[in-house]
Amino acid sequence: MTAIGGGGAARAAVTRLALRQVRRPALVVSAVTAGVTAVVVAGYESTAGTALDAAALAALAENPAVRTLFGEPFALDTPGGFTVWRTGTVLAVLLSVWGVLATTRVTRGEEESGRWDLLLAGRLTVPAVLGRHLAVLNAAVVIAGAAAGIVLVAAGTPPGGALRYAAGLVLVALFAVATALLTAQVMPTRAGASGSALAVLGVGMLARMVGDGVAALGWLRWLSPYGLLALVRPYRDDRLLPLLVLAGAALLVGAAATALAGRRDVRAGLVAAPAGRPPRKWLLGTVDGFAVRRMSRPLAGWSAGIGAYFLLIGLLATSMTDFLSDNPRFAELAAQAGFTELGSVRGYTASLFVLLAVPVGVFAASRLAEFVAAETDGRLTSLYAQPISRNRLLTAETLATLGGVAVLVTVAATATWLGAYLVDAPLPLAAALAGTWHVLPVVLLCLGAAILALGWLPRATAAVGVLPAIGGFLLQVLADSADLPGWVPAISPFTHLAAVPAESPAWPAWWIMVGIAVLAAALGRLGHRRRDLLG
Amino acid sequence: MPGSLVGGRVLNNLSEAAVHPPAIRTEHLSKRYGSLLALDDLDLTVDAGEVFGFLGPNGAGKSTTIRLLLGLARPTAGQAWIFGTAAADVATAHQRLAYVPADVTLWPQLTGAEILELLGATGPGVDVAYRDELVDRFALDLSKPGRAYSTGNRQKVALIAAFATRAPLLVLDEPTAGLDPLMEREFRRAVNEARDTGSTVFLSSHQLAEVEAVCDRVGILRAGRLVEVATIPELRRLHRTEVLVRFAGPVPELTGVAGIDGVQVDGAALRFTLTGPPGPALRALAGADLTTLTMREPTLEEIFLDYYGEGSR
Repeated sequence: MTAIGGGGAARAAVTRLALRQVRRPALVVSAVTAGVTAVVVAGYESTAGTALDAAALAALAENPAVRTLFGEPFALDTPGGFTVWRTGTVLAVLLSVWGVLATTRVTRGEEESGRWDLLLAGRLTVPAVLGRHLAVLNAAVVIAGAAAGIVLVAAGTPPGGALRYAAGLVLVALFAVATALLTAQVMPTRAGASGSALAVLGVGMLARMVGDGVAALGWLRWLSPYGLLALVRPYRDDRLLPLLVLAGAALLVGAAATALAGRRDVRAGLVAAPAGRPPRKWLLGTVDGFAVRRMSRPLAGWSAGIGAYFLLIGLLATSMTDFLSDNPRFAELAAQAGFTELGSVRGYTASLFVLLAVPVGVFAASRLAEFVAAETDGRLTSLYAQPISRNRLLTAETLATLGGVAVLVTVAATATWLGAYLVDAPLPLAAALAGTWHVLPVVLLCLGAAILALGWLPRATAAVGVLPAIGGFLLQVLADSADLPGWVPAISPFTHLAAVPAESPAWPAWWIMVGIAVLAAALGRLGHRRRDLLG
Repeated sequence: MPGSLVGGRVLNNLSEAAVHPPAIRTEHLSKRYGSLLALDDLDLTVDAGEVFGFLGPNGAGKSTTIRLLLGLARPTAGQAWIFGTAAADVATAHQRLAYVPADVTLWPQLTGAEILELLGATGPGVDVAYRDELVDRFALDLSKPGRAYSTGNRQKVALIAAFATRAPLLVLDEPTAGLDPLMEREFRRAVNEARDTGSTVFLSSHQLAEVEAVCDRVGILRAGRLVEVATIPELRRLHRTEVLVRFAGPVPELTGVAGIDGVQVDGAALRFTLTGPPGPALRALAGADLTTLTMREPTLEEIFLDYYGEGSR
């Protein structure tokens, strides 16, 4: 009797612990999901109604390049269908990536830090503790996905479509959480677990893009969570089968994770970390070298993901121009709607290069967030105790991050150029480089914001650092899709980026953004020098 | 000859302070975290070449003091100097010190050898031969990655890195909490070697036997305030000496005698504690017929408990 009551109390305590760790970011993600959906569905009349007639929008959406980017369009003549097409992929990526990062943070991350040793010394087993966390994380993504559905129903769209769409969003996120839980059992480190789970999502996204862009490979979408979400076709077909496949996949992966959890040692993964190895002393001689060394592995992962994405973009470059030469009527319509350069390879790649600012900006913020994490858990203490000033250490980290950013934008340009070259699309390497390097101010704003937070509000470094990229991008999506006052989109740095290489760079705005970033970084350095170190 | 004149001696002392400033000096050093005054007006001087023990119960402000000395935290008031350099100027001050934190966190993916390489290359210098010797003496396997080390082994990595610098000042924050007795003996040896080569050691510790064995002077901290700084013999003099006297004749009356406390009569034996100069007690005993007189000086542990435990009653 006592034992049963005690076990229940222990489980409840672990549930509360998990809840405390996820509730705040879960609220933010839910609010963003609901907010973006609300603004786009409310703004449907003003954009789809006036800018282009529905037939023209459908023609635009039949383009393989646009399909690759935004997914297969359907029911664009309804507010629900338009909202799903415009925001579905973005929100699915947001929910699933957050799901992965939150899962590895509260499970493998807590275990790696040793905080779970105490927890697991109690009467609960690893599967039981993981089960409580899984329940809380699942509830969090259910709430976030449901928020989108409720907004759509409230906006008067058919409840059947809203339900299918919300269920799809939730299931994609549940699959992501289950995948992260599985990789957290296999890999012995949080970074390894996050990286593997994000790689699964990245491959899924590529499969969705190829499946949408190339008709013959349409079946690939059945293998991807994002592809399955698209196959539901809410508001037109409202198909159930893709949802069932997604649910089955999430269940299977979740069950595998729970089963594996009982078969391993605490703090160890199924993949054993090597017990010893000869020293590798490269880049250990200076703090700058060490910052580069710590970045090298994550940079390789980011380069692979960004390279694969932009290779695909390059490979699809000609499909856009071919389509427009076959449809001269559409080229006129698109030009009237402001898509003037979309018909050229340069215009198409330019609009995609702008997107590059989001992942590269997140990369920059993540490096500074990692720097704060190393300060908080004491890894940096031994370096702060060396005869090296704080400014010097932060400079080393900043320079390494800038180097990583340069690598990423160069990889994106080279991959796009290579893809375009393979399909004989006219895109010189110099034009591709000009396009990807042009997004630098947004990335620098992320880096500057992250350094500012590091100096004055170090625990918010990641959140503040990604704001210019993710916040700016979402604002841009909203501004495109809803009738907002003119000053609102002006806050977004994306508004001030020219579509290079289709247009010539807008240098004044470019330099002003760089200036703001430098100012933020300088203020952050001042704060960092003055404050107490954490941990 | 310079000491023959008073003025000359003063001048000599002044130039002595400029050429050989104290290893650690603090003036009115204070740190406040919100409403908690973690360190209150600390004035402390640790001379070069000294092994200084820093004692206090958990939460007394020892680690706060060390973080301020290292420039990891900024003082709310007051200032600290390391060999005459402001503690905030870490690029200069840390050229002459090495530090072992209480809770050592290593980079999980770097092996012990790689961590020693990194700290050696970025630190104030390293005596490679001595480092290799210490690795041997502390029996540390350098091929393991940081995440695979136990608490004690993590501490060994930090201790080896610190001692191998041969820095003029070693700041050690509870460095032996995870070490076994064999390794603790090696630690004491290393501290003595550092002292022999002229280094200053600032040792915060709960291991009172260790402090007693290696330290020249100790400072005792209570609730953020420094309550005592003295050599260990001085501390003993300031504290209760336990006295056992056996008598052949009648036992004299000792209550009320200055310095005597806790008198226990056990047949023909008398047990009491003595604080301060022993003159009055000896005079009171002079008329009696003593067979034996045993005096036992208190251990540091008893002194420590005096400050924080029974003694504060």
